[in-house]
Amino acid sequence: MFWRILFDSVVRRKKRKTLAVLAVWLGISLIVGLGVLCLDTGDKMNLELRSFGANIKVRSISSSIPVTVAGYELDSFKDANVLSENDFPKLKEIFWRNNITGIVPRLWVEGTMKGTIDGKKIPVLGLWLSRKIPVGQGEECATGASHVYKHWKLEGRWPKEDEAACLAGSELAENYKIEIGDRLEISASKNSMLFTVSGIISSGGREDSAVLASLRLVQGLAGLEGKVSEADISALTTPENQLAEKYRVEPKSLTPAEYERWYCTPYPENIAREIQETIPNSTARVIRRISETQGTVLTRIQGLVFFLGLITFVSCSLSLIGILASIVSDRRSEIALFQAIGAGRAHIGALFFTEIAFLGILGGILGGLTGSWIGRQLIQAIFSSEASPHFALILLSPLLGLMVAWLGSLWPVRRALNQDTARALHES
Amino acid sequence: MSKAIIALHQVHKYYLKGVHALQDVNLSIEEGQWTAMMGPSGSGKTTLLNLLDGLDRPSLGRIEILGIDTSRFSADNWTVFRRENIGLVFQQFYLIPYLTALENVMLAQYYHSMADKRQAQKSLEEIGLGARMHHFPSELSGGEQQRVCIARALINEPKIILADEPTGNLDEDNEKIVMDIFHKLDAERKTVLMVTHNPNLGRLADRRIYLEHGRVKHEHWV
Repeated sequence: MFWRILFDSVVRRKKRKTLAVLAVWLGISLIVGLGVLCLDTGDKMNLELRSFGANIKVRSISSSIPVTVAGYELDSFKDANVLSENDFPKLKEIFWRNNITGIVPRLWVEGTMKGTIDGKKIPVLGLWLSRKIPVGQGEECATGASHVYKHWKLEGRWPKEDEAACLAGSELAENYKIEIGDRLEISASKNSMLFTVSGIISSGGREDSAVLASLRLVQGLAGLEGKVSEADISALTTPENQLAEKYRVEPKSLTPAEYERWYCTPYPENIAREIQETIPNSTARVIRRISETQGTVLTRIQGLVFFLGLITFVSCSLSLIGILASIVSDRRSEIALFQAIGAGRAHIGALFFTEIAFLGILGGILGGLTGSWIGRQLIQAIFSSEASPHFALILLSPLLGLMVAWLGSLWPVRRALNQDTARALHES
Repeated sequence: MSKAIIALHQVHKYYLKGVHALQDVNLSIEEGQWTAMMGPSGSGKTTLLNLLDGLDRPSLGRIEILGIDTSRFSADNWTVFRRENIGLVFQQFYLIPYLTALENVMLAQYYHSMADKRQAQKSLEEIGLGARMHHFPSELSGGEQQRVCIARALINEPKIILADEPTGNLDEDNEKIVMDIFHKLDAERKTVLMVTHNPNLGRLADRRIYLEHGRVKHEHWV
């Protein structure tokens, strides 16, 4: 009998029921769309922020300790070239190998440029320009400065790995009137070499006053074959949260489950620690500026999206209150009759909540499908890339629809259950 | 002497705007008695009936039904008490429009305990609706709808039957059919309290109570 009444309740008054389904559909579409955006933003932002350079700096232990004598800080790079270039490809074999998206070993040496006044020394930076590291199963990973330093302003082009070409830092180029196509003879402690300037680079850092060339060529100039002084690593990380903070403050305060979760989460510190363990004599430090910006931006975006989702959820429930109130109001006399012939509040409540659950679930299923589509379009529009499939969200959407519908029905159903039965019957 | 199945003690009912619908009503109705509540419109007949079926509450006073003081009943208590003990017959029939005659009767069974199709069919056959039991209310005449309403009120064998103008919306022929049904109930010694304007129907009752301005004006015993 319950299902007989329920069936008739559902199929009658189609217009208002359609409106109710439509309200849930729209609401859940937005919530799921925002959910997709929220879930994908982390990864997409990571990739976007990778274009702002590296987020982990690797140096030799000795160079990371500042040494000051009589008020003068000793120049660290003179004795800092103790890292081995051959150790860096190993980073694509560690636990976090898939998170490491860029590796740029660098070697700073002092050189002189023929023709400069007083033979003034200039910094020369050797780095991986564009390398391919084997990552097993015949696959290779492309890395190097041209992949990691996408945010640098380059006029001209990156030199090729074995090409006798260099980039001139923007300040250096301005000071010495260097232009693209000029030929520079650079000398270091062991050798000298003639380079063609293929581009002018502006990084906003030390590189602006240096000459940049292939690591192998610079090692040859300085007689430091196989040595590097530092490296920039670009890694996909998870912004630090309370768990990471808890570990940093007191590692022993983590429960075994928390430790396992912390250990398996790509926090910047976690990846830096493993890099440090892989590269002998090294110390790896997180570049906080990028890491923290990333975390702050992500937290704010996700907070905003969550807030919008919550507002949508509440406003959808509020709009449903109006629609469901009119549906319930239409049936006041029927409810009164049910009560008069012995139906308990629980029975009438169950009847309405089941009917409304059906409408909510239907709206939720439709909303899950369209919301997923909306999410994909948003990701495409914002990040110009495909959204990951979020089946869990689609599966969750009927439940969301149910919750929205039930929340919206609480007041109308409660009002109907507490109505003046005699009056409702009389008015009918 | 039969025991009182319904007893009202100094019952008052006020509505908003100072309407005093019932004033100091004291009444005792005995088991197996057919009582007709009569009086002009606005005299408080339906109000009194609504207090007895628990659809409304007295403002003052006490109502005992089957020896139980109902003044402290919650809405849920009343629902259970009503479905166990009281059958309601309405002037407007109040059938569920999307259920057939048979389903309307079975609905009362369902809320009481469990639906019994055969028993419901039998009850409809007894009041001459055997051929119309699968029809919807809109396909039945007023008299037939009232008979379905009566069958629904009786299906759970209530101890008390409260009827509000049971012939109020019927033509003469159907009025006679309904009167016959009430005659039969009286013969079975059912306790019936009936509100009516109809003097013909009222005359059939064991006892007639006349209300005026919310007070019991006089009574007539057969």
